[in-house]
This record gives sequence, C-alpha cells and structure tokens, in this order.
Amino acid sequence: MSEFNNRIDAQRRILRIVNGSRNLREELFGLSSGALERWARANNVGQHDPLLELLNQAASKLFFLSNKSQEQITDEYQSLSAEVAVLTERIQAATSNASL
Amino acid sequence: MKRHLYAFGSLCRGEIDELSDVDLLACVETQDQARTIDTGRFSVYTRDRIRVLWREGNPFAWHLHLEAKLVFASDGADFLRELGVPREYEKADEDCVKFMRLFEESVQSLHSTSDSQVFHLSCIFLAARNFATCYSFTRGSPIFSRRSPLLIESPVALSTDVFDTLVRARVLSTRGIGEALTPHEISVAVRACPQIHDWMQSLLPSEVSV
Repeated sequence: MSEFNNRIDAQRRILRIVNGSRNLREELFGLSSGALERWARANNVGQHDPLLELLNQAASKLFFLSNKSQEQITDEYQSLSAEVAVLTERIQAATSNASL
Repeated sequence: MKRHLYAFGSLCRGEIDELSDVDLLACVETQDQARTIDTGRFSVYTRDRIRVLWREGNPFAWHLHLEAKLVFASDGADFLRELGVPREYEKADEDCVKFMRLFEESVQSLHSTSDSQVFHLSCIFLAARNFATCYSFTRGSPIFSRRSPLLIESPVALSTDVFDTLVRARVLSTRGIGEALTPHEISVAVRACPQIHDWMQSLLPSEVSV
C-alpha cells in the first residue's frame, strides 16, 4: 500500500475509535483543525480534554492528509507512522476514560 | 531571506462559491524560515523542495506552474516562473491505481460499519477528484478543479446532487464547516458508489490492475 493510502488508513482508524465508542451528538468528521473544533463544540469537549489533546497531536502528524487536499498527490510526507500508531493506542485508551 | 507568496487553486480558477477556500503557497529558503509561517493558512515549501517537485514532474508542480499567481516577492522576482516548465508527469497510471484503491477501501469501510460515514464519503470524493486530475494529464489537458470528475472528457455519471453531497463530506472533513449530511443523503451517495467504480475501471488502461 502506498504511503498516501497508509496515512488515510491511519486517520480512518482513529475516527472509527472515536465515533464507534459512544453516542456523540455529532461525529468527528476528520482530523483537520476545523473538524476537531466543530466536534469539540458540538459535544461540549473542553479545550484541555485529554482525548482532544491526543487527537490534536495525531492531527498535526497527519496534517498534510487532513488539510491539504490540493497536495495529496505529492506523496511528500515524512515517515510518522510509528508515532501515529502510538497516539492511536493512547486515543483508544482515552476514549474508554472520556466523560462524553 | 527570500520569500515568495502565491495564490493557487479555486481562487485562481475563478471558482468561488460558499465552500471555496483560499489556497496560499509560501516558498522560503530554509526550514527555520518555514517554521515561522502558519501552516494552517499556507502550504509551506522550501525552494529546494519546490525544485525537486519540478524535476520529478510532480502533479503539484504542474498545478503551480499552470495556476499559481504571484502575490508577494521579497526580491521582486517570480521564483516559480523562473523555474520554467516542470518535467513531464509520467506516473499518471500508477497514481490512478492508488486512488482507485483508496476508493475501494473507503467503500469497504462504508459497508463494514455504520460510523464515520461522512469521513468515508470524503475519502471517496478525494479518490475520485484526484483520479480524474491524474487521468486528465494523460489526455494532455490537466484539470485541477474540485469538480474534475465531472469536467474531464469522460465524466463520471453522477447526479449533481450526489456529487455535491460528496463535496460537502469533504468540506466537513477538511474544514469542519457546512450542514451535516442527512441519513438519506448518505444513503443516496452510498448507492452511487458502483457508478464511480465503473467509471474508474473504464478509464484505467486494460493492462493496469488494481
């Protein structure tokens, strides 16, 4: 699988952890800053909520995937898959503890 | 240090609607200089990286070559124009396969769970849009528009309503704005996926397999 598709897959896994774990007023639609802000607002998630902080960290790692559709055919991403995998595990754990 | 700022994307094509954003490019000399620029507002590239994209014949280099408009230059020069014409883009078939795979994985995800449907639809839009843009290179006339699947010479057979639903999913995913999709809109878009599949399949060369 290409690096590009791997990174979409990483984003997909994180979203399914968040959206599949509880009844949300509104799902998380993506890992862009705009989508995360919308999700936090819709679900009354505080700015310093541990889950939100982890999601923002993952979003920054996957920044080009989340925000830059114009460039997504360039494949110019640093190798961050290991860091994203660790963050995904922490997001999984945080969804179990979150108060949503 | 030198700095060149460009506009590109929908603004330069005159495609302004309620979902349009403004794509801005900053070309800088060093990574340290790059770190001082808000990457939420700008696509930030060093000049060396841009030169590599030009030598690779990367689609993004072609996109900038054909569309970008200089907004500011610290030295009065037009850096991108001075680079001349990018090398020919030769990976269109390979990239089309990559985007068809993304489409198929996204459809599989749509059918395997009931959550994250908007995200899966946004990936389907991304796959179709980038597939069409890559394919348009093979026809000698690159199309970078968000509506490229509808604008190439063999357009996808989707209704405007379904296409607009996919665009809205993408905007919800990448910018978090717009009305949430209704279950009915999602259901109609999911039912249209076989048409997108058949369209992609029909445009791939027969010797290429996904």
